[in-house]
Amino acid sequence: MSTPRALRQPLALRIGSGAFIAFWCLIAAFPIFWIMVMSFKVPLDAFADKPTSVIFGPETLAGGQGLSVPDIVIGLIVLFFFMRGVVRWLPAKVQQYAPGGQLWFGWILAAILTGLAFVLLFFGVLPPVMQGVNGLLGSLGEPVLGLTTEHYYAVWVENEFYRNFLNSLLVTAGVVLLSLTVGTLAGYGLARSGSNLAFWLLILALIFRALPHSVLVAGYLPVFITSSEWLQPVFDVFGASAPTLYGQPWAVIAVLVAINQPFTIWMLRSFFQSIPTELDEAARVDGCTHFEAFRRVIMPVMWPGVITTGLFSFLLAYNDFLVTSLLLDAQNQTMVPAITGYFNRETSTTDQVEAVAAAVSITAPLLLLVMVFQKQIVSGLTAGAVKG
Amino acid sequence: MQMKKLFLAVALSAGMMASGSVMAACAFKNEVPLKSLSAGFDAWKAVAAAMSECGNFEGELDQEYKTKQPEAMKANPSLYHIGGVSNSTLVTLMGDNSVRPLDDLVAKYGQHLSPNQLIKIDGKIMAIAMMVNAQHLMYRSDILGELGIEPPTSYAAMLEAAAKIKASGKVDYPIGGTFKTGWNLGEEFINMYMGFGGEFFGEGNAATLNNAAGVKALEMLKAMTEYMDPEYLTSDSTYVQQQFQQGKIAMANLWASRAGAMDDEKESKVVGKVKMAAAPVAMEGGKPATTLWWDGVTIAANIPDDQAEAAFKVAMEGLDEEMVKANNDDAVWLIKGYTPGPAAKGAADSAAAGAPSYPASKAHGMIHTVAGSNLADYLTGKKDAATTLADMEADYTKAAKEAGLIK
Amino acid sequence: MKFKTFVAFVGPSILMMLLFIAAPLVSVFIQSFHHTQPVYETVTREVCTPGFIKQICQEETSSQPVLGADGKPLVETHYVGLQSYRDLLDMDRVWQAIDVGRWSEILTIDFWKALRFTLTFTLLTLPLVLLVGLALAVAINNALKSIRGPIIFITLLPFIITPVIGALSIRWLFIGDGIMTAMLEQWLQQDIAMFAQAWTIELLMYFYRVWHVAPFAFVIFYAGLQTLNQDTLESAIVDGASRWERVRYVLVPHLMPLIIFVALIHLMDCYRVFEEIVGFSSQAHVISLQWLTYDFLTPDDAGNRSIARASASAMLTMIGIVLLLIPLLRRTWRDHKRGGH
Repeated sequence: MSTPRALRQPLALRIGSGAFIAFWCLIAAFPIFWIMVMSFKVPLDAFADKPTSVIFGPETLAGGQGLSVPDIVIGLIVLFFFMRGVVRWLPAKVQQYAPGGQLWFGWILAAILTGLAFVLLFFGVLPPVMQGVNGLLGSLGEPVLGLTTEHYYAVWVENEFYRNFLNSLLVTAGVVLLSLTVGTLAGYGLARSGSNLAFWLLILALIFRALPHSVLVAGYLPVFITSSEWLQPVFDVFGASAPTLYGQPWAVIAVLVAINQPFTIWMLRSFFQSIPTELDEAARVDGCTHFEAFRRVIMPVMWPGVITTGLFSFLLAYNDFLVTSLLLDAQNQTMVPAITGYFNRETSTTDQVEAVAAAVSITAPLLLLVMVFQKQIVSGLTAGAVKG
Repeated sequence: MQMKKLFLAVALSAGMMASGSVMAACAFKNEVPLKSLSAGFDAWKAVAAAMSECGNFEGELDQEYKTKQPEAMKANPSLYHIGGVSNSTLVTLMGDNSVRPLDDLVAKYGQHLSPNQLIKIDGKIMAIAMMVNAQHLMYRSDILGELGIEPPTSYAAMLEAAAKIKASGKVDYPIGGTFKTGWNLGEEFINMYMGFGGEFFGEGNAATLNNAAGVKALEMLKAMTEYMDPEYLTSDSTYVQQQFQQGKIAMANLWASRAGAMDDEKESKVVGKVKMAAAPVAMEGGKPATTLWWDGVTIAANIPDDQAEAAFKVAMEGLDEEMVKANNDDAVWLIKGYTPGPAAKGAADSAAAGAPSYPASKAHGMIHTVAGSNLADYLTGKKDAATTLADMEADYTKAAKEAGLIK
Repeated sequence: MKFKTFVAFVGPSILMMLLFIAAPLVSVFIQSFHHTQPVYETVTREVCTPGFIKQICQEETSSQPVLGADGKPLVETHYVGLQSYRDLLDMDRVWQAIDVGRWSEILTIDFWKALRFTLTFTLLTLPLVLLVGLALAVAINNALKSIRGPIIFITLLPFIITPVIGALSIRWLFIGDGIMTAMLEQWLQQDIAMFAQAWTIELLMYFYRVWHVAPFAFVIFYAGLQTLNQDTLESAIVDGASRWERVRYVLVPHLMPLIIFVALIHLMDCYRVFEEIVGFSSQAHVISLQWLTYDFLTPDDAGNRSIARASASAMLTMIGIVLLLIPLLRRTWRDHKRGGH
């Protein structure tokens, strides 16, 4: 397709907009790149004044830990091809192998497998191979760049961060599934009902969204902790003992879903409005109820909008701090509060670099997610998930 | 390279864990499922690990423990059997009547405890202390030595020393301080105000801060900030510790629990150069301007007696000699078997010179909070001393009326 | 759609919101008019605490909660009317300050200080976010197809990263002699402390928020651009519209619903600004309304918290948001009336 005339631009404008994009990319990526660099250095290097000491890590190198030139070159090449594979090859494979209607399961499996492959490749396969290569190369194989993975080891193995990771997975998956199920139904109902009630419900939802979270959460805490006392009369009917809601991941899932409902139903409502009413009206004429029409006609075409909205739910649940830190006990703690725990307790500088390593670890799945879903986000939004 | 070491470390630690579980040094096998909730610093990590050797025990180390603990132990049955407290958080639990007197249990299982560890209120043992902590002077002995300055024993001397150090240009900032707005700054004010002999309360819980001692305390704090990193209002203990380690400051009143970090070769560029001394006095003939804190364990009231007994036995295992010997430098322990190292000198000297213990109470908690939030405006020059103190009193009165402490 | 069907579709969502948002909201509303407090008595007793070697025992007189028959502290609740709002707003001092003409004194009262920052923060970052988002969308839409993918990926980074971590990562670049501060110092040849005064911290906070939210605006606008009708643009060119006029009269109207949507979300989130205060530890210099509420609710060591004032401040925050949203909501109402299904 040739560029339409409307989009052809003079050279100065092209250069200007190119420079703007380049500048933005630098600003966007630099802080994240920088904490990644810090996480691989010993504390003295990580918090050094001079940028060069942070990058090259002389103290880390003096401790005998570092990368040689071939390490870096080969590592970068492998990384490039890995990312290309994720962006180009993975979506096609998922489409191909996932059983119909269970695309989301295929994606989850693919994401987990990709993460495992990454860890295996960079921490399991490459190091021993490169050790051999460096040995053969002699002086060229000497380390030049200080780098240590000790903080990652401390975080994931010694501090058992994988537990927090699993808790985060549970909470996030629960929030996304429940939030979409409840939200899709409500969004569809609101979109198809032209009544004033629907409008005022939406406005009410917006006002709910305005309530500061800190108030909500502080209100939940005593109620959740004493729930086994005040819920008992209800549970007596079934002859069961009432649960303590505090510390329960599913209670937190319910809270996060509720907090996120206003945004979810607003987005999904706009999306459903962009699906022509003729579609479900035709089904209704054929004698379907609203629910049947929803299931047979709307569900097959709603995935772009649902995936996009689901991603926003994912981000909310995965990144939440206020709710999870207060309503979960230590056994069920998710990753974000666990990280701030490193900073808030009496920390040493080593603890801080470990926190940085943990921070980078929790960012990695997010990067992977966006890499995989980038196209879906844009196409979902384009399909009308936001029309105001 | 990297990986090989990693594997080695995994193998090693796995081996150690295996052998550790064989040697797990708990005198008995705990059969009652128990849980504890406490702060998460190193000393608690050590104690919780020692307790879990008895089995059936979950030690939760949570940075939100101040918010969660009162609610969780108020519930019936209490969600936690053992609560880690400090002198100030014990006030909350006592107020809710959610911790039990321990006299019987101490008589039965705690004969080895030293009398110093038993926290008695109104004659009843309410908690078992395990460590003390206090802010005291840490200084760079090499810098003070080269400039021929004696380690300061008073704040006036400290300011003089700071002026000399500044003139010499040996460090970026002569003084470091835990002046972060909020709890840290409130603690600094309380130390200094008590150092100048100030009284916090008059009749009926009314605050009495707006007086000569208050003004002097504020002025002294401001005088110190002249020699600090200009970002002092964001600097907490970890930041000051880091400044020490990187050789950027020469003197600071820092917590005893931080003393060990000065000689940590992995983090510190000043190994062996930082010495400890008693906290300086604020005025001639006064006591060191610092307060003594303790941390310890309590047992919940809202649990059956047999569980309380099991919890106490487990707690005693957590606070035994063996644990202290293995973690000698993590804290200034009160438990038998502790050998005070050079790091404990500051706290010991301060206590010997008569430093008071922190005056924990409901009303005092509010004073601490209003001091922490109001001082910043004075230090940055937005308000003068008298206005600041008057505002602190006014804020305190609002909070105390809301809480019912003042009618 | 029949009412019953409508309820069946919307029910679960409404139920969850009622349970987890509306119920706390009602309780917050009620609490803002009441003081709930334990009954205290004055007690003198001996308290023994550890010294370094020897125990320190002393007589202490303090207020202690009175215990009821069930062993729990007695608690009283009184209706206090607008007292909590008065405590918060401190109007006496405000009028006093206005009388003597020292306006800046108003800003030493916590609530007004927080309101000032929250409003400036919200209103200043809004146009910046919209502009940067729009500029990015237009620029990236014009970039070569082959590099668009990676550019969108990098652009989205600040939005997806966990807010607490994003704020910390920027903080580390600037705090103390962080590398950015060190670079600025070399460039300007003077000592800089970014966290020592209010305006530099505020600047960092604005920067962080725009950095964090602009990608959200970008991705929405970018999606909107994909549906832009090329024929309209072509005809605008035929009519001799300049580049600027095309943006002004074709692009912006097309994106208007999206601009409103982004503005709506941004206003709400911004007015509840909280992470920045914690992340940049700016409490000493600037605070926000939600931080003030949070601070009232955080118990001190002795377990005191100001629930009544926190509730009052939460109610005022909500009212503020609703006021800000009214112009945008009126537009939504008109659209609703026009486009009723």
